[in-house]
Amino acid sequence: MAYPPNSLSNTSTDSVYLDFIQKAASIGTWEYDTKLLTLHWALETKKIHELPHDYVPNLEEALNFYKAGKNRDTITKLFSECIENLKSFDVELQITTAKGNDKWIRAIAKPFIENGELVKVLGLFQDIDQKTKISKELAAKEALLSKIFDHASIGKGTLDLEGKWLKVNNSLCEMLNYTEEELLKLQSFKAISHPEDKHIGLDLHYKMLDGDINNFQVEKRYISKNGKVIFALLSSALVKDSRGIPQFIIIQINDLTQIKKANQKIQHLLNIKEHQNKRLLNFAHIVSHNLRSHSGNLKMLLDIIKTDMPESMDNDVFPMLDLAVDQLKETVESLNEVATINIKNDVIVEPINLLKSFENVLNCITGQIAESRAKINIDIEPDIHVYAITAYLDSILLNFITNSIKYKKSNINLEIDIQTTIQQGYVIIKIKDNGLGIDLKKHKEKLFGMYKTFHNHKDARGIGLFITKNQVEAIGGKIEVDSTVNIGTTFYIHLKHYENN
Amino acid sequence: MKTIDLACIIDDDQVYIFAIKRMIKLSNFCKSFMIYNNGAEALDNLKAIIDAGKNIPDVILLDINMPIMDGWQFLDEFIKIEASKLITVYMVSSSIDPVDINKAKTYENVSNYIVKPISIEMLNSIAEEINGTIL
Repeated sequence: MAYPPNSLSNTSTDSVYLDFIQKAASIGTWEYDTKLLTLHWALETKKIHELPHDYVPNLEEALNFYKAGKNRDTITKLFSECIENLKSFDVELQITTAKGNDKWIRAIAKPFIENGELVKVLGLFQDIDQKTKISKELAAKEALLSKIFDHASIGKGTLDLEGKWLKVNNSLCEMLNYTEEELLKLQSFKAISHPEDKHIGLDLHYKMLDGDINNFQVEKRYISKNGKVIFALLSSALVKDSRGIPQFIIIQINDLTQIKKANQKIQHLLNIKEHQNKRLLNFAHIVSHNLRSHSGNLKMLLDIIKTDMPESMDNDVFPMLDLAVDQLKETVESLNEVATINIKNDVIVEPINLLKSFENVLNCITGQIAESRAKINIDIEPDIHVYAITAYLDSILLNFITNSIKYKKSNINLEIDIQTTIQQGYVIIKIKDNGLGIDLKKHKEKLFGMYKTFHNHKDARGIGLFITKNQVEAIGGKIEVDSTVNIGTTFYIHLKHYENN
Repeated sequence: MKTIDLACIIDDDQVYIFAIKRMIKLSNFCKSFMIYNNGAEALDNLKAIIDAGKNIPDVILLDINMPIMDGWQFLDEFIKIEASKLITVYMVSSSIDPVDINKAKTYENVSNYIVKPISIEMLNSIAEEINGTIL
């Protein structure tokens, strides 16, 4: 029995009913007899404390269920006040149950006076844990939201449907250089728009008010109070109530001024760089052209001497002069080639059959291959096409093959293995030889530079790989290299894959 | 083999002119030649010569980059002159720029584009080509 029948209820129907109420509402009763100093708890009260039904409470234990500190101090004080001064109380506090769980409860007490004398304290004990937790969570969420609103680095605010500010955050005030008060006093949100940008987003704003859209974003300029132009991204969203009636508008203003400025700076630097690059290439082109004229003249003069004055050739100097002129001509030609590759901005590539290109290139140098006794194994699917310019592709392939031949080992026969794999839109051509190899630790940085040679070889000129790299890059590819001294070199040439379908 | 009677060389490069003169002699490319240092000078003189109808050159070796009037400007004017005789024009330049090479192809009068330096062998093959068209 939850409650002594003789104290509050007279019939057993009443007590069953009371019991039902207690359970359903998670409310337990309690009663403290101030004469006998005994405490009585209803079953539900025990249940809230997570105690067995046969538990017999006493006042001290009961108070000790309240969490030590503020909670227990409060209830102790209230309870003594109730007994001494006959004061009722109704309080929400936290207890720790017998099983160690913390719970929010509501405790209500009322002194019961008989013949002008306090005889009992009657009370109610309600489990409000769920309810309290939810409301506490809500409050925390609200606090969090308002913190986010206040301290966001983005300017935020709310507008009424007439476009007047309801609320603004710090960032917005700082961005616009207005105080919160000043902003809230403005007649309309439009007042801060840049005069030339007032119309931007207006059509969308009205569409939103008409219910055609829920939100929108536009880029527009604002003017701060001190006249600074602010490039911003405006995000606007309409908030409606549960019946779908527009309530207010949430505004976010992202200051893009820094980004815009940085972009302008980058663009400016890019323009300068592009301009300088063009001038440099133009310069290289002119120089190489002029050098060509001079080296051509030298060549012609030497030819005349050879034909007209053969006796002048009969000395140590003439062959060297001849060689020097030839080398000059070659250098100038390479320089010209590099300048020509780089000067072309819009390279037009077309699908080219890779296997056929290899075959063409090998046909051109059959003599050289035979002389070097090189064995070339080509394993390329006959239908693979790459995007390239025929002249470049031929030159690229030729350069890698002749490179391998040039830098073969003298004591063993040269073998070149050529294979392809297709990866993410690229054909990777692997050209592997068993030649001298390159010390990549020492030379990798210089490998594709201009005029670097790594071997004491008679026709080592070094510009070959530089031109090749330029050509590969001009058609949107790249080169990778792997090499070990005395083992060999493998080049990986990535070229854009053309897929037939 | 019939040699060319008269060749005309239009070029501003003195070293080249010196060399080509010697090569012409060494190769028996032609019996005589005339030399102009830019397009304008060549155009003025050639106009008079063609009008007079005497000593009209069989072949012109024309440079591209020249002061006052370059090779292209010369060509544009030259093709307007009506000559009583076929004059073969060769572009002779240090430029290996495809733009120049392709431009030369657009002129009907230009039979070929020769990249400097010129050699005696080249002069011989030009002579053969011209004789082929004359004969």
